[in-house]
Amino acid sequence: MSAAVHIKTILATLTWVPVIYTFTEHVYQPYFITGRSMTPAFNPGTSTMTNDITMVQKFGLKSPDSLHRGDVILFRSPLSPEKILTKRVIAVGGDTVACTHKYPKPTARVPRNHLWVEGDNEFHSIDSNNFGPISQGLVVGKVVNVIWPPSRMGADFSGGGRNALVE
Amino acid sequence: MQKVRFVATTLSWTLRAGCVAHFLHEYVYEFTETRGESMLPTLQAQHDYVHALKGYRYGRNLDIGDCIVATKPSEPTQRVCKRITGMPGDIVLVDPSSSSPLTNTPNEVILHDGFNKYIKVPDGHVWVTGDNLCHSLDSRSYSSLPMALIKGKIVAANSMDKGFIDAAGRLRFWNFRWITNTFEND
Repeated sequence: MSAAVHIKTILATLTWVPVIYTFTEHVYQPYFITGRSMTPAFNPGTSTMTNDITMVQKFGLKSPDSLHRGDVILFRSPLSPEKILTKRVIAVGGDTVACTHKYPKPTARVPRNHLWVEGDNEFHSIDSNNFGPISQGLVVGKVVNVIWPPSRMGADFSGGGRNALVE
Repeated sequence: MQKVRFVATTLSWTLRAGCVAHFLHEYVYEFTETRGESMLPTLQAQHDYVHALKGYRYGRNLDIGDCIVATKPSEPTQRVCKRITGMPGDIVLVDPSSSSPLTNTPNEVILHDGFNKYIKVPDGHVWVTGDNLCHSLDSRSYSSLPMALIKGKIVAANSMDKGFIDAAGRLRFWNFRWITNTFEND
């Protein structure tokens, strides 16, 4: 094969890069979970010390009824826009939550199209008790599955998070 | 067989070209319509299109006085176009007009306490208002805006209902004009 053929193959491969980017941005994306705010649902550190890689859904997250209590979401931190955080949805728009001691008020009402998010691990988590309810516009994805390590593949992460609703 | 191959190739190239366009749209430049009275007189209520640079997304390198396009915090499917009037750490008077005796009853003037209500803009947030303060839903109602919701900076605008020549006889395509930072420190 001549050099020209090689260059042509390389260029043809490169044209697929934007397609892959668009897929990961709007359909599904694997995501590496770091930190211990979501232990033991993610990164339990029991059978293996490696961090979990999860599959994250990117589509259909803008409408008010697309997210529910118990969902684990990825969102841009309201306090530093370049940081992406992983937390659990504790309450949705219209709910009233009992806050932890970090929040200036004992209870908070979550506004329309906003979410109250918390890490499962209260003491290692910077969450809505620090920065208040977040706009749903900040949400970038919803965790649907653990895909790595193999021993944790398909692990159940639905349990966890406190019941903070106030009637 | 050849026909199937031709269709497949065409579709494949369309997909790739579309994704390149989407990438540029998301990260480099966007030309889009804006509507509403909130940015008068900078932008018309109708027929106006803006040029937005997406390198300023998430509030990167933005400053007070810049015009931005952002996701509306209370309605994530909508976008708003506002001007930054407060940076993180700034202390802002929320809304003195809420205690204006012209539009409020004497009771409300005291109740709202508009001349004494200040807020310190938190880290990672900006304070945004429309240029037309009387007809704008902005930080005065939804409070400071997280920078992560900012999509880009508006640098220029066109009015599509105007011709190629402006009132002074100069060549201006659809009333092309730069949108500049109007902030003056005094």
